[in-house]
Amino acid sequence: MTDMSLSRPNGQMAHPTASASIEIRPSRGLFDLELGAVWRYRELLIVLIHRDIQVLYKQAALGVAWAIIQPLFAVIIFSVIFGHFARMPSDGVPYPVFAFAGVLPWTYFAEAVRRGGTGLVSDSELVRKVYFPRLIIPLAGVIAPMLDFLIAFAVLLGVMLWFDVMPSFRLLVVPPLLVISALLALGIGLWLGPINVRFRDIKYTLPFMLQIWMYATPIVYPLSIVPAGWKWAYSLNPMVGVVEGFRWAVFGKGDPNIVAIGLSLLVIGVLLVGGLIFFKRMEQSFADLI
Amino acid sequence: MSQDIVISAEHLGKRYRRGLGPNRHNSIRDTLAAGFDALIRGRRPESAAHDTFWALQDASFDITRGENVGIIGLNGAGKSTLLKILSRITTPTVGAARVTGRLGALLEVGTGFHGELSGRENTFLYGAILGMSRAEVDRKFDAIVDFSEIRDFIDTPVKRYSSGMYVRLAFAVAAHLDPDILLLDEVLAVGDFTFQRKCMDFARQLERKGSTILFVSHNMFSIKTMCQRVIYLKQGRIVFDGLTDEGLRLYESDSKLGPTPWFHAPKDPSLVITNVELYGENGEQKTMFDFGERIRIRICYRALRPVEGPHFLCSIKRSDQILCCNFSSYFDKVDLPWISGDGAIELLTPPLKIVSDRYTITIAVRERGLEQLVAGQIGASFHLRHEIFDVSTFGVFHEPGQWRTVDAINAKTESVHELR
Repeated sequence: MTDMSLSRPNGQMAHPTASASIEIRPSRGLFDLELGAVWRYRELLIVLIHRDIQVLYKQAALGVAWAIIQPLFAVIIFSVIFGHFARMPSDGVPYPVFAFAGVLPWTYFAEAVRRGGTGLVSDSELVRKVYFPRLIIPLAGVIAPMLDFLIAFAVLLGVMLWFDVMPSFRLLVVPPLLVISALLALGIGLWLGPINVRFRDIKYTLPFMLQIWMYATPIVYPLSIVPAGWKWAYSLNPMVGVVEGFRWAVFGKGDPNIVAIGLSLLVIGVLLVGGLIFFKRMEQSFADLI
Repeated sequence: MSQDIVISAEHLGKRYRRGLGPNRHNSIRDTLAAGFDALIRGRRPESAAHDTFWALQDASFDITRGENVGIIGLNGAGKSTLLKILSRITTPTVGAARVTGRLGALLEVGTGFHGELSGRENTFLYGAILGMSRAEVDRKFDAIVDFSEIRDFIDTPVKRYSSGMYVRLAFAVAAHLDPDILLLDEVLAVGDFTFQRKCMDFARQLERKGSTILFVSHNMFSIKTMCQRVIYLKQGRIVFDGLTDEGLRLYESDSKLGPTPWFHAPKDPSLVITNVELYGENGEQKTMFDFGERIRIRICYRALRPVEGPHFLCSIKRSDQILCCNFSSYFDKVDLPWISGDGAIELLTPPLKIVSDRYTITIAVRERGLEQLVAGQIGASFHLRHEIFDVSTFGVFHEPGQWRTVDAINAKTESVHELR
């Protein structure tokens, strides 16, 4: 086997498909996930993420401000309704800080699920006319909103200082928590994406489902007010672990329950592996169906 | 297998489900309703065997390094399906193929361009989509912009581009992909004449470098100039694979006579068109004419009963179905009392000044001037060529006009200068 691209006189980088021969055949094995192909196409992944970010900030008049306004308004509304009117307990910290620490990971997660699940259809032109590992699209979908997250995180730090909540070394767990929610969003996107190719209803049902899921997650209320009989159901919701972990990182309250986190990781793992297999099985028909 | 075979296809086939696509069962509710309906009536929603068709079947061929191969066939013959399989956009239902070398597929120019982004940003985006690394686009950026001829607008969002500029930039990026194998689907048929020539030059340059090109087109003229070999697909099967001239002859004779939608021959027709032949003014048979040339159109017929006062109508339609002109023996005051048996009638057209394109001749025969329609037939096709006068800039036909300068103040009086 010879790599043709290596013999090029101008020494250009190997094209992803240049490595010797490519075999084109009908169906692949169930577990042939071709993750190597995703790695070879990493430049396209980076470019697509870059494009999503550029487009987002070019289309909106307010640009980067959107990353701040969205979570900030949610926090203000929650603070007025739940914190002020309903006098919701907030683990002993000012309600706005409490709510922000929940809204922030949730905003990222919801956006990542939305983009991961609908990206195949919004990029249908690419899917129909160009070859690349389709996994790139949901991947780009969950990575691009991380920039919004980082911007909003800077605002959270400001809000914390304003309310005299001192940041601590506990914030170091934020990156792993972000990765966990990205993996969860990807796991869901891998299932929703192919279904959305076939049934376009997903676009309409998704915001609704995410809204319900948000109220099933302790964002506006603390986990401590959930009746003991319901706690088991909460530990099946992987976002509970992420949000609680966030709260712990921000103001050190809440209990980082190892069993709950382990269970969340298990759920995420099952979603991801199943999603990958499902996605790969559906992948070959994308161009025909979209 | 020889080292020099870059594409080897074995029994490639692609089966589609009829009607399956974006418009079908797009909501879960519809699918459930259809399934429920079938359950009540005791039928399966659709029998899979009846509802599928083979867009491509049993396609086997080898393509060696440096070959330029044209893929021809009518719409729906499987040309695009074949390119989609070879470019890995879709997988074959059966069969296998092996592709060796860097493959670039241009099934559409500018796929993935984003309107909000500038020409510069889109260059990098499109480059990555086509499979170039960022470093590679960086290195070739100036060459790409020069090729596209839109340097002044490179930082303008492409949504403000004219369609011509858009295509130029997209093609410029694609042209610098530098592939070993290039799959082209009708993309050279865009842009104005000078740009098209640039694209053809680019294709020839690739050819000299030893690249292999697979080229789908309806434009037999470009197939003829670019390819030594053609693969002719008909209803999903390869019916010819060999020398271009031979393949084009077969394709042209296949697509020659066909029924028209407006005439359905009765069971006992009074007249049948047996052939439509094209000759140059000096009597040589051909299908490629130059702008301004006169064409002899010979209509061969068999009159099964005497046809009284036959009126032959010969219309010329452009490839985009625009009716360009119509020659009528009736309006040209040809006096034919009646015809019977086998015979032929020949029309010598005036110099044809319609623009460069592919044209199809349709024949109609009426009895007694404008009365009963007795025959209707799609006849031969021909190409008319001219370097400059094309459909996109010159419309239907071109005749030189007369020009003069007119002095604005004394327009009505003397200072008018003839320019010729």
